[in-house]
This record gives sequence, C-alpha cells and structure tokens, in this order.
Amino acid sequence: MESWRKVGLAVRKKIAFFIILGWLLLLIGDRVDELRVYQGAQIAMYTIALASIVLLTGYSGQVSLGNGAMMAVGGYAAALTLNNLGSPVWVAFLIAIVASSLFGVLLGIAAARLSGPYLAGTTLALAVGLPSIANQFAFLGGEPGLLFDVGFPPARLGEEFSQYKWFFWIASFIALLALFITSNILQSRYGRTWRAIRSSPLAAELSGINSSRMKVLAFTVSSGLAGLAGAVLAMTISLVAPGAYGLALSFALVTGAVLAGISSLPGVVLGAFILVIIPEISVAIADSLGNADKLNNYLPGLIASVLLILSVIFTPNGPGEKLRGHHHKKK
Amino acid sequence: MIRKTRAKGTWLAATVLAVGSLFATSLPAYAETGVTSTEIKLGITLPLTGAASPGYNKIGNAMNAYFKYVNENGGVYGRKVTLIQKNDEYSPQLSIAKTNELILRDKVFALVGPLGTANFTAVHKSVGIANRGVPSLFLNTGFSGFANKKAYPTSFMVLPSYAMEAKIIAQFLKENHAGKKLALVYQNDEFGIDGLGAFKAAGTKFDVSIPYTSGEQATPGIGTRWATTLRDGGAQVVVFFGVTSATGALLGGAAGLGFRPQWILGSVGSDPLTLRGLGVPLALLNGAQTLAGNPSPNDTSDEYVKQFQEINTKYNIAGTNFDDYVLQGMNIGLMTVQALRAAGSRPTRAGLIRAIETKGSTFASVAYSPLGYSRTSNVGHTGYYMAVMDSTGDRKPFGGKVTLYTTNSGSGSVDVSTFKRPAMPAKGLPSNS
Amino acid sequence: MHKILETILIGITTGSIYALMSIALVLVWRSTRVVNFAQAGQAMLSTYIGFEIASRTEIFWLGLAFAIVAGALLGAAVDFFFMRVLFKHAVSGAAAVVAPVIATLGLLGLIRSIVGLIWGGDFKSIEAPASTNGFTMGETTIPFSPLNLLVIGIVFSILITLAVIFQRTNLGLSLRASAYAPEIAQLAGIKTARIRTIGWAIAGGVGGVAGMLFASSNFLTPYSLDLLLVFGFIAAVIGGLESMAGSVVGALVLGIGLTFILNYVGSSLVFIGGFSVLILVLLIKPDGIMAKGRARRA
Repeated sequence: MESWRKVGLAVRKKIAFFIILGWLLLLIGDRVDELRVYQGAQIAMYTIALASIVLLTGYSGQVSLGNGAMMAVGGYAAALTLNNLGSPVWVAFLIAIVASSLFGVLLGIAAARLSGPYLAGTTLALAVGLPSIANQFAFLGGEPGLLFDVGFPPARLGEEFSQYKWFFWIASFIALLALFITSNILQSRYGRTWRAIRSSPLAAELSGINSSRMKVLAFTVSSGLAGLAGAVLAMTISLVAPGAYGLALSFALVTGAVLAGISSLPGVVLGAFILVIIPEISVAIADSLGNADKLNNYLPGLIASVLLILSVIFTPNGPGEKLRGHHHKKK
Repeated sequence: MIRKTRAKGTWLAATVLAVGSLFATSLPAYAETGVTSTEIKLGITLPLTGAASPGYNKIGNAMNAYFKYVNENGGVYGRKVTLIQKNDEYSPQLSIAKTNELILRDKVFALVGPLGTANFTAVHKSVGIANRGVPSLFLNTGFSGFANKKAYPTSFMVLPSYAMEAKIIAQFLKENHAGKKLALVYQNDEFGIDGLGAFKAAGTKFDVSIPYTSGEQATPGIGTRWATTLRDGGAQVVVFFGVTSATGALLGGAAGLGFRPQWILGSVGSDPLTLRGLGVPLALLNGAQTLAGNPSPNDTSDEYVKQFQEINTKYNIAGTNFDDYVLQGMNIGLMTVQALRAAGSRPTRAGLIRAIETKGSTFASVAYSPLGYSRTSNVGHTGYYMAVMDSTGDRKPFGGKVTLYTTNSGSGSVDVSTFKRPAMPAKGLPSNS
Repeated sequence: MHKILETILIGITTGSIYALMSIALVLVWRSTRVVNFAQAGQAMLSTYIGFEIASRTEIFWLGLAFAIVAGALLGAAVDFFFMRVLFKHAVSGAAAVVAPVIATLGLLGLIRSIVGLIWGGDFKSIEAPASTNGFTMGETTIPFSPLNLLVIGIVFSILITLAVIFQRTNLGLSLRASAYAPEIAQLAGIKTARIRTIGWAIAGGVGGVAGMLFASSNFLTPYSLDLLLVFGFIAAVIGGLESMAGSVVGALVLGIGLTFILNYVGSSLVFIGGFSVLILVLLIKPDGIMAKGRARRA
C-alpha cells in the first residue's frame, strides 16, 4: 500500500512538472519572434530523437547509427498516411510510430547478435542505404520527396497566429508527452534491466534476463521514438525527402546525445539546444570573418566534430556525470 | 472691412497650415522589410557545393559582381544592393532551411534567382512564400508549373520553360533529324518530366529513354552504364535534359566506349567550360547541338556580352572565367536592378511585384526572346535558338545565323520570331524608372 | 554474355579499391580492437595532398607517392596523439563501449571539415595515369579501360607486398604477435605500442592509395570517399574482421555483386544491396566467410 502511494506521488509530481514546463513554453512562444519559434520546434524534434538514442545507447548499451533511418521510416509513413488516406494529423503521427517500431523489431532481431563496431557499422550502412530507397520507388517521391502539409492553425487562434508557431505548439506538446512516457519507461524495471544488460551482460544472463528479447525491445521502443521525431521533422519543413534523413542526421544525433550525456534523459533538451545552436554560432562566426562560402559550409561541421571529440574523450558520460563525480568518486 | 478680410486671410492660412500639418504627420512613415535608407537586401539559395553544383555555383558571385558595379555607380536611388547567398546543395530541405534563414533572420526584401525546380516547389509551400508576400524574382528554373500565377502570385520566371524547350527541340528534330533513332536522357523529377510531357504532346517518339534520379550522376560508373544502354539501343540522336554534372558523366561514359551519337543538350546542362572542368574532352563536344537563349559568352561583338565581360574582370572573384553561368548571373543582376528601379524610391514588396507586372516586359536582357511579364503572366523569356558547339567548345548558331523560335508552355505553335531585343542601357547601368 | 563479362571486370576493379580500404580497417582492428571510421577521413586528406602534388607536377605517380607518405604519417599521428589519449580517459561507464566508435566518427567529421575549409567542396579531378578509353574487342568497345587494369595491378602488388611483409619479415611477425596476444608479445620484448603505431601507419598509407585510385576515375570531394568507408567496412565484415585475406575476398565479392545490381537492377538499390549482403553474412556467419569459427570478441 505504502509503495503504491509513493509511486503515485512521484508520477503526480512528474505530471505537474511537465504541465508547468508546457505552460512556460506557451508563454515563451508568445514572446519570441518567428525565427526563434521555428527553432523551438526544431529543438522539440531533436529532443524526441535524442531520447531515442539515450534509450538505445545510454541505457541498453547498443551503439546504433541508424536512428536517422528510423526517423525516415516514421516521416515517410506519416506523409503517405496524410497524403493518401487523408487522415487527421495525429493519426499520421501514430502510424509513424507504429511503422518505425515494426522496422525497429526487424532491426533489433538482426542486431541483437551484434555488438560494438559490428553493430555500429551495420547501422551505418543502414543509415546510408535506407533513404536512397526513396529514389527507387516513385510513390515515395524520389529525391525531391513528398509534401507534408498539416494545414493551417485553426481560425480561432486568430489571424496573427503564424504557421511556425502552430508547429511549435504541436511539436512541443508531442515532445513533452514523449519525454514523459520515456522517462517512465526508463525508470521502470525495463530501464533497470537495460542498464543491467549494458553494464554486466554476463551477470544479467545469469540472473535469468533474456538479453536478446530486451535488446530487441530497446530497438523497438527507440525506433518508435525516432519515427515520431521523423514525423515531427516532416511537419516542420512540410517535406519528407531522402536528403533530410541522411547520414548527416545520424551523425548529428550521436553528437547531440554524447554532448548531453548519453545516459541522461533530462540532458536531451540540452543536447537538442546545442544541435540547433551550432549552426547559429557558426553563421555568426562566418559573418564576422567575412562570410566566405567555404566557412559557411564547413564551419558547423567543424564545431560539432570538435565538440564531439572533446566530450567523448573527457566527459564520455556527459558533462552531468563529471559534475556529479565531484561528490562521490565512481569506481 | 479691411480688418475683417485680413482676419479672414489669417484664418485661412492658419486652417491650411493646420490641416496640412495633420496630413504631414499622418503620412505613413516609409518602412519595408529588407530596405533601409542605405541598403536593399536580397537573398538567393543555390548549390554552392554538392553533386549539382558545377557551374551553377558561379551564378551568385556573378550577380554580386554586377551589384558591386551598380553600387559603385550610385546604387539604386542611392541604396546599395546586397545579395546574401545560401548554399542548399540542390537539396530541397536545405533550401527550406536556408530560405527560412533568409526571410526570418536576414529579413531580405526579396528572393532573387533561387535555383532548382524541386527546391523552389518545396520552399514555396513550406516557407509560405505567397502568404508572406515575399517576391521571388527570376527563378533559376524553367519548370512550367511556376508560370501559374494563381499558385505562385509573387514569383517570376526568367528562363523559358522546359515545356517550351522540349517543343522547340521536338520541332527541330522533325525538321532536321527525321527518321533517326532518338533517345532521351532526363532527370526524373518535375524538371525532366516537364520536358517529357511536352515531347509527348508534340508526338516525338523516343526509342531509348533513360530517367535518372537527381544525385545519381555521382555514382561511380553510372555514365558508362547510361552510354552502354544508349549504344546497345542503337541511338543515333541523344537528347539530354539534365544538370551539367550529369551531362559530364554521360559524355565521359560515352567517351570511354567510343560512342558518338548526335548530342542535343538542353539549355540547363550544356556549358562547355564547366564540362571541360568535369573532364569531358573538348573533342567530344564538337558538333553537339544545344538550345540557347543567349549569345555565346565568347561573342564580344554583342554589346551585352562585352559589357558583362568587363564587369566580370573588374568586379568578380579573380580568375573567374566568363561562361554561360556568369553571363546568366549578370543578366539576372541587370534585370533585378531594373525591377528595383521600377519599384520607385520607396519600394515595397507589393510595389516591386506590380512594377514587374506592368513594366517588366520592356526590361533589357541579353536573351534574344521577348519577356512575357504582365498582370496575368509570370512568364519570362519565351524562346530559344539552336546552336552548335565547335571543337573549341564555343557556340555558333545552327545554320550560321540566329533563328529564334518562340512558343508557350501549352499547346501554342512554335513560330520563328523576328523580335529585336532592347538595347543595353549605357555602360550597363539601367536608368529606367 | 558480353554484359556479364563487362560487369565482372568492372566489379573486380571497384572491388579491388574496396579491398584496400578493408585491409586498412582490418589492420587497425586487429592491432587496436577499434574500427577506425576515420580511415576514410585519413584517406581523404592524403588524397587531397596527393591531388595537389599531382596537379602541380602533372605526374600522377608523384602524387601517389606523396599520398602514401602523407597517409602513413597521418595514420601514425592519429594513433599516437588521438587513440592513446582516448584510451587513457574513456575507460568506464556506459561510454566505454561507445567512445572509440564515436571518437573516430568525430575525427572523420573533423578531417572532412578541415579539408572542406582548405580546398572547398568543388569537384576536383586527378589526371589519370592511363587511358580511360575502353579496350576494343573487335567491333565493340567494352567499358574496361587500361586505367581499370592498372588499378587492379596496383592493388594486387600492394596485397602481395603486404603479404610478404606479414609472413616473411620480423616486422610482420611482431605485428601479428602484438595483435594476437599483446601481453605475451610484450614479454617477448616487442614494443607493442610502437608496433601498433607502425600498423596504423601502414593502414594509413594503404588508405591513401585507395583514395588516389578512386579519385583517378571519379571525382574528389570531401564526401566522395564515404562510399569507400561503407563498402570497405562491409567487405571487412564479410571476410571476417580478423582476416586480411578474407577481407580481400569479401571486397571482390562485394564489388562484383554491387556492379551486378548497378547494371541489372538500378543504381538506387546499390546501397540497400550492400546492406542486405552485410545483414545476411552477419546472420549466417557472423565471423565472416573466411573465419574458421574462431570466437569473435567484440
């Protein structure tokens, strides 16, 4: 009885926290200009995507570079549903989750036997290969892609309510919901089991945990999240195209996850923020240095790579861990 | 009596003054996004790097060079024209992201010359160009769908459409290559399909048809495969509707096989200098036929070319060779400045659009065909002539002199035109209003 | 009949370039237990240096020589300055599994950005040292040129040289010993750290050759070697990451297979084809085609 109450309280506190966060975002959304609101939607999108990496790599210890490909599955599934079945937007998002989860099961089955660089390399091949399928089948739109139109904001929000603000509202709501659910999953026994598998696979097996099944489950949930993020991405740019989900995206996700602390769910917000900020910073730097084309094209990549390398070497578990490490030394 | 009259006069004067000052303070202060008292900001998205960039990445710098020249000579009503270039690598979602930056962060007055069919289609929908009322002038794409003024109310084409181009090629094939085995290689998106549809409507039958996906031209060995398919299909005349880097791949593959059909290159991907840079030997280009709208960039007897070449030498990045793309870029610059001038000294976005609608058809441009701008039409140039490349890669009119064909994107006929283009403004500096 | 012959020949050509890449990956894997994704970056940088020399002196072979040297120096530098620092710091926590993979990926991005900043993203081409016109067999010209033949020749000479080094020299013995049983090798007086760096240097040099050969028949941009990385890795896995001979076989098989897909199916399916082959091999024989059932420690 007592433990039920405790659980109830914790969950209630969490719900309250998320509601307050939601209110804050609403207020902020009203005060900033359109560019920031648009970037806010991107941050929300990255948050969901990074959460998928935290779950897969941070918790279950499987290094996958293929979440970009899973985002593509979700984005295309949502676009096809929206365009061909004329369904409401939220149905399209649901289908995105289902479709990418299914792919995740397949990938998980194939990947559960692999580890380390084999897994990384295989998912790398997936990340490179999957988007290019769109070029083979006409109904997938080829290189230019398919349009993804969620429609205008409802009239009662007023004339001044811009399209991008509408995206921001939708994306933030979905992100908050996704984070809430993911946080619950990670704190449940599933999360604990994944951590056990990651830190001592042998001990986990010995204590009766079915590692393969749990790994596949991790891939499934992670892919579902990634697919949702992919659909949100499609909404913000009103487009699904293979180029939007390419290798660069997968790299960006890994970068963001490492920078934010690969096993820290709250860190995904920071990671998402950094991912959106890096191009801004590099545009600012490039402008002050004279706006050469070369700078603009390669500076964001340079900054991101340097940050990634520094953080993976010096704070491999994320800056958060380093801070906490000051209090108790980890063996 | 006098006193009353004088009082009346004072009253009158006072009233006039009062009412006048009311008007003066309620006159709207002039302000427009992207225009300050010293500067007009314009933006362009184009592929500066990536598989489609060879050649096209020079357009922005050429425009810049022309604007620099104009700025040094008084600008537009005293304002400098600044062009912000953003690299979209020919990828539609990057175009969207960069255009967002241009409109939301850089707050440009108008977009000028955005490049790419799929790119602009995506941008127009995603960024909401029409809703925001952002003028997008002189698109660097010939997709005939953009001529739909209802769907694209703030956009203006400049290149003849691909449908027009296909119709003219179809006519030329009938007149000069009747009875031969025809082949078509085209980019498999709205760009290529635009042309394909027009060929169908004109009744041209292709014995071999090779669609390629944008970006595929970078796959190693693809050029050889295309050439092998063409050769094995017995193609004698090969029409090509694609970007320059794909032309390079195809010609390179054909060279390796020793396959030498009659090439007919579409206007988009045929610049000889760029092809040389991609490794295509000049000997291959000898005899290739291509549609062109402008005089050859080497033709210094043409007043436009001569003036633009001088500007290129003085104002463009050192060492830039003057080719089709530089010519195109400078021409867009010329038309842009005329458009800005026509919009007046207090330009607004709506005013700019109206100015092109009403006065655009009389703008000076290097291309030979008439401009079709009007209240009901977004269409820019409307015609081409057939040219032949020689062993130096230079372009000479087929048949010795320019035979200009004009048509429309629909079912209109292809006619020989006697249109005479306007003279270039003195020193290349427009003085229109 | 014609087409099949052509396809096989082209497949061997592309496969042999992948073979170089996969050897480099296997070399590093065996000595350091790390898959060096930055291999493509090192090869890229070495190739750009080779390109500079080749275009200035107009001698391809000089450019190739410089690319090899640059590749070797770069490989050694990466091992010495980068990997050692990495292993010192990132040893615990969730990241221990992740760190080397991500670090080499980060290095790849870093090198690519630097190359892009220095040389820009324009298409560069290297003047090929042999003719690119296909051989003529009677009336027809097949798409297999003297250049392709030269590429195959160069690759196989390198393979033979490496085989000799590994099997017949002391250096080779030390390399194999340090990879197989580092502690024992150290006890036997082999300076394993230095030997490992030499291994990285050889891998880097080989990667440089791969890049130069690739660029001689394709274009050079900061992204064009990504293909090599993906397919080189797949080839290495197919052959079994433990065996250099295996990775060569894997590379040839992959090259031929992918060319068949390219010629008979469609170019958009090439990547998925490669991926499917990878998954198939990993599911059926995770140790690779050539492995003799040895336990594969990740």
